[in-house]
Amino acid sequence: MKTKNINKEYLQAEIDFIHKDHNLDASFITMFATDERPLNLGFKVYTVFLFKNPTSILTLSTQLDQEEPAYPAISLKIPQANWYEREIHDLFGITPCGIDLDPLVLHRDWHRGKNFPMRKDFHIDTPMPISEVPHEFSNQPHAEGMNQIAVGPIHAGIIEPGHLRFCTIGEKVLKFDAQLFYTHKGIEKMAEGKTIDEALNLAEHVCGMCSYAHSTAFCQAIETLTQNHIPIRASYIRTICLELERISSHLFDLSSICSAGGFGFGGIHAARLREIIMRVIYKITGHRFFRGLNEPGGLKKDISDALLKELLFEIKDFKAKFKDWEKLVMNNDSFLDRLEGTGALTKEQAITLGIVGPPARASGINRDIRRDFTYETYKKYMPKITTYEEGDALARTKIRIDEIYESIELLKNLIQAVPSGHILNRTPFQFSEPQTSIGIVESAKGELIHSLMITPENKIYRWHVRSASYMNWRGMVQATMANNILPDGPLVNKSFNLCYACVDR
Amino acid sequence: MLSILKQWIMTGNLSEQITVNNNGKVEAAYKTFSRIKDINPRTRKALSRSLLIRHLDTGSCNAEEAEILALSNPIYDITRFGIDFTASPRHADVLTVSGPVTRHLKIAMERTYEAMPEPKIVVAIGDGACTGSLYNKTYACLGKVDQFIPIDIYIPGDPPSPTQILEGLLLCKMLLAEKEKKNG
Repeated sequence: MKTKNINKEYLQAEIDFIHKDHNLDASFITMFATDERPLNLGFKVYTVFLFKNPTSILTLSTQLDQEEPAYPAISLKIPQANWYEREIHDLFGITPCGIDLDPLVLHRDWHRGKNFPMRKDFHIDTPMPISEVPHEFSNQPHAEGMNQIAVGPIHAGIIEPGHLRFCTIGEKVLKFDAQLFYTHKGIEKMAEGKTIDEALNLAEHVCGMCSYAHSTAFCQAIETLTQNHIPIRASYIRTICLELERISSHLFDLSSICSAGGFGFGGIHAARLREIIMRVIYKITGHRFFRGLNEPGGLKKDISDALLKELLFEIKDFKAKFKDWEKLVMNNDSFLDRLEGTGALTKEQAITLGIVGPPARASGINRDIRRDFTYETYKKYMPKITTYEEGDALARTKIRIDEIYESIELLKNLIQAVPSGHILNRTPFQFSEPQTSIGIVESAKGELIHSLMITPENKIYRWHVRSASYMNWRGMVQATMANNILPDGPLVNKSFNLCYACVDR
Repeated sequence: MLSILKQWIMTGNLSEQITVNNNGKVEAAYKTFSRIKDINPRTRKALSRSLLIRHLDTGSCNAEEAEILALSNPIYDITRFGIDFTASPRHADVLTVSGPVTRHLKIAMERTYEAMPEPKIVVAIGDGACTGSLYNKTYACLGKVDQFIPIDIYIPGDPPSPTQILEGLLLCKMLLAEKEKKNG
């Protein structure tokens, strides 16, 4: 990872240059701010790019003024940076000049303009008064014949909280917007000053559906920093667990898509298949959500060869069952008709919004961190990446089915090749000044990025999590507005199946 | 249509036996069609009732939601016990809460509680709701649920398994019968 200091006047031009130059093949992956005033460095904004050829990460760090931090907004050049900049404005009070700064992370009843929770001088449990302020979306049209339909924050189904607002004319959706960050707990602030082990525990609890991907990304950030190459056996087992998590998460999504598409039988059977996988996970790791398995430098506990053999058997058995399910669902014409053309997201829109993961691949973007920035044992066992051009709910369903088959094949090869050996390399920290590091993992929902800043005393100074759903939410909003009717709303939502917990943190 | 029928016949009934822990002793093991044997009449009457649940996420890490959703799959098949999820708190007997209360959801949680008809039963699912778990108090996270609304049953776990949740919900039926008796 290279870090380059850059003056705030040149930031916009530099980013524009990197982003537009096709020879560099760079993609903007994350952006975060730090309050380094206690270190006498003022505020800093970090912008991170991933280069494909050759594979490398470039971090641009920009130092800002201590008193009134401001810089020219980069979302004028890269539209996908909009949420990051609004988040930075909410939490740090740093002003990106030139864009509309609607509140994002902190809701409207927060006393804006003086309380910035991520600043170091804001005490963690400062009580803030709670008052009720009606949610008004500034960009919702009001006219005769238009209906505003509010959904949430407490939904009818068993899903996480979020406020959705449809603006319809008759049945047609004219405008759609979402207010998220209801489950914002300030996990990033909680981690500050904690040891690495304590923060790892928090990382596992950011999100339940992709908790292993979160802990792996966190560990990778630390391993990159200490240049610790984890033992080969640990690396194999991590890859196996990541793929198992992908299968379980995709089955959850497929089950939701079937239920939302009115095909309950398929949904129930996908849920049954998921329970089979969850029990396999419980059997081999001792926890249904892989918690307490990862550790920086390897694994906390080993998975015995006998269990791996059993896993291989179970996976083969599972493949046959999954094939039956696929045949059942993919031959159901009324269901396929429901999915086809629903919530289409074009490739241009997906690129502009920076969509990642399965929805991106369904819209024709050939992007997968397992191949582009390979980690663990994916270098040796490269997955085949499939893409679809349509970008509709059907393409997003198909891509998940393909990825489950691909994961099964990967698992079969991996389990047979797991070498024997130890599982943990501990490397001590020896740094004289704070270090920043980045860990990237392709979780089931897309690329997941953990950015860490660690003090020489091995304490967390700043931790930033950017989950895949953080990028895909705007894609979902865009896809709902793409010539759909109101009953398509839930189906489009489920075909993206985004987490709220790891967006809100 | 035929393929659906084939799948239905080939898969068969997968529902699993659940044991009910009543007053400290495992009283009954009953299978698919809720055939309850060797169980005292009062418990039997309480268990034979239906129960409607409204779930509320007050800031959990969505693992609890995944486990509650797993209850509706054919392996746990919660509807065979007469338990079902409802869309509105106004129809609900039980409010299940997961996750530490966040600042942004405090008002929504209190309103949901007020909207429920009497007698109300509140179940805290997961460590987050029961104790606050490892989430410290912050500007946005207010901690465990029973600071704000009274809780009848705690189901701790990180997250609790579907079986544990189901056991807790069966206990709710007995509690509901007791509460109704008290209220006359």
